Amino acid sequence: MTTYTVYKEQLPELFETWSRQYALYVPGKLREGFYDLVPWKKGQEIAWEFDVAYNSPKRFLLPPKEALITFNRETYEAAPVFEAPPQILFGVHPYDVKAINQLDQLLESGSPDQNYVRRRDATVIMAFEPLTVSPPAFWASVGAASVAHGYDLYWTKIGPASFTVEVGSAKGEELLQAAGTVLPSTPGDKEGARRAKARILAKARRNGLRYNWEETPRLLSKCWDSPLWRRYSQMCLACGSCNLVCPTCYCFDIREEADDALKKGVRTRYWDGCMLESFAKVAGNHNFRPKAQDRYRHRYFRKGKYIYDKIGELGCVGCGRCVRACTAGIANPLKVFNELWEETAHEY
Amino acid sequence: MAKPRIAFFDFAGCEGDQLQIANLEERLLDILDHVEVVSFREVATNHSDDYDVAFVEGSITRPEDEIRLKEIRKNAKVLVALGACACIGGINCLKNFLAENVYREEVYGASARWFPTYAARPLKSVVHVDAEVHGCPIDPNEFARITKELLLGRAPWIADFPVCVECKQAGNVCRYEMGRMCLGIITRAGCNAACVSEGAHCWGCRGLVPGANLDAARIVMDRAGSDRKATQDLLRFFLGDTGAAL
Repeated sequence: MTTYTVYKEQLPELFETWSRQYALYVPGKLREGFYDLVPWKKGQEIAWEFDVAYNSPKRFLLPPKEALITFNRETYEAAPVFEAPPQILFGVHPYDVKAINQLDQLLESGSPDQNYVRRRDATVIMAFEPLTVSPPAFWASVGAASVAHGYDLYWTKIGPASFTVEVGSAKGEELLQAAGTVLPSTPGDKEGARRAKARILAKARRNGLRYNWEETPRLLSKCWDSPLWRRYSQMCLACGSCNLVCPTCYCFDIREEADDALKKGVRTRYWDGCMLESFAKVAGNHNFRPKAQDRYRHRYFRKGKYIYDKIGELGCVGCGRCVRACTAGIANPLKVFNELWEETAHEY
Repeated sequence: MAKPRIAFFDFAGCEGDQLQIANLEERLLDILDHVEVVSFREVATNHSDDYDVAFVEGSITRPEDEIRLKEIRKNAKVLVALGACACIGGINCLKNFLAENVYREEVYGASARWFPTYAARPLKSVVHVDAEVHGCPIDPNEFARITKELLLGRAPWIADFPVCVECKQAGNVCRYEMGRMCLGIITRAGCNAACVSEGAHCWGCRGLVPGANLDAARIVMDRAGSDRKATQDLLRFFLGDTGAAL
């Protein structure tokens, strides 16, 4: 695919053009040290240096609260609710693109999640090569430093006011040309992009797994009875923050509410998380993961083994969001996996 | 089927929760189609002791409250606690940390000895409570939902996870990451993280989440660097009747 070079002064017009047809989200600064994808408006300052979007991009595809069907209690009729606003996510780091690719695989396989599929189809992903690394992040060591697909355009900042843009889809290329001609990159620009990627990769590699990430499922299968689970989970507040901020966690709960006349109603899904005490509660009030320890271990097995067994990659992309979000300081896949590795080192 | 007869009662509290119900305004008319209100001091003058569902606001702070509440329990098929005072004792429990003579004189002055009172407590410390509408004040939408669920014969859904869940759903920056104190980590959700979303922190008005890990929470609050006195004040504010208050 072609690579183009875009200059900063071309951006306002591009954004302006896109925002006429799409809800456009760009990296913005919330407060010192906190960044997020925010709605673009004229004059919006882009936080190019953002280390991580505070909220993971899954909320654009799998909103925290989403109506699924409306129903009529008198006629016993139900109708699906589909909402899929056209949107552009500009500035998605590669590890987050990887997370979205994973959601695509998991939610579109088997019985496809119709609401997710529709939102995903209406979404344009513009990836952006990070310029800084969030302190708890370790994406370079879990195979999430780069992605081969999943983006419509891939932006790399190669100078104070210039970018290379790799095309990932025809739609992306069309959007890039929407506000006037952009020129293909020179070999020099491409070399600049390669260097920019190498530079950030070197920074990201300072924090990482002490072993090859592909060993994780095998490692975990030996660690079911490790004392580590209890040691860490003693502090667990069962608040689900690690699940909810995770870009790859997609579990949800479904609840219904009738209207005030008790005639019609809406079925809505809400984000849920396996660390919450009632997550595994089933009929008859039986809870098959009643203890924080069971739930804590389950999450790491999910990230390190169960997802791998399904699709061949870790369910963790190393974004470090759970590490930040955990007030108890126990959610830390990097630390947990590394400690388990050391614990079992004598077995290798 | 005859419409369920419902009645409202209040004990020590500000009647703010009943005001929240009155605030439903036009929505109230639709809901009133399904029920018959036989007693609601704040909005109507009629009264009857023949009712199916009793909504009770306020906490129990005097021996004679207990007698009245037990009478209400006897009359009602379903008893629903309304608001923080009724559900968890609420801010009335602040007095439980003072000597009895101190708070009685503070409130009643020289005539203190005419007014017997005792430690403030939630309804469930006195009678069986079937459902709880949490919050200070209650969320009128949640009240409407719980009422509808009762009318449909369903067990009302009441959030059983901490406020953190709703903060993450709202996309709020965590107060702890901002170096601030927050009780959301141990407090029952259901408020859509209202206070945090408005820039404040959680005060714990919906009570402890079931299974709250208080030992861990104390360590987290200590690590956050707030002084012990401030933490104690915050924990006593709404959670005075629970094991959380130091």
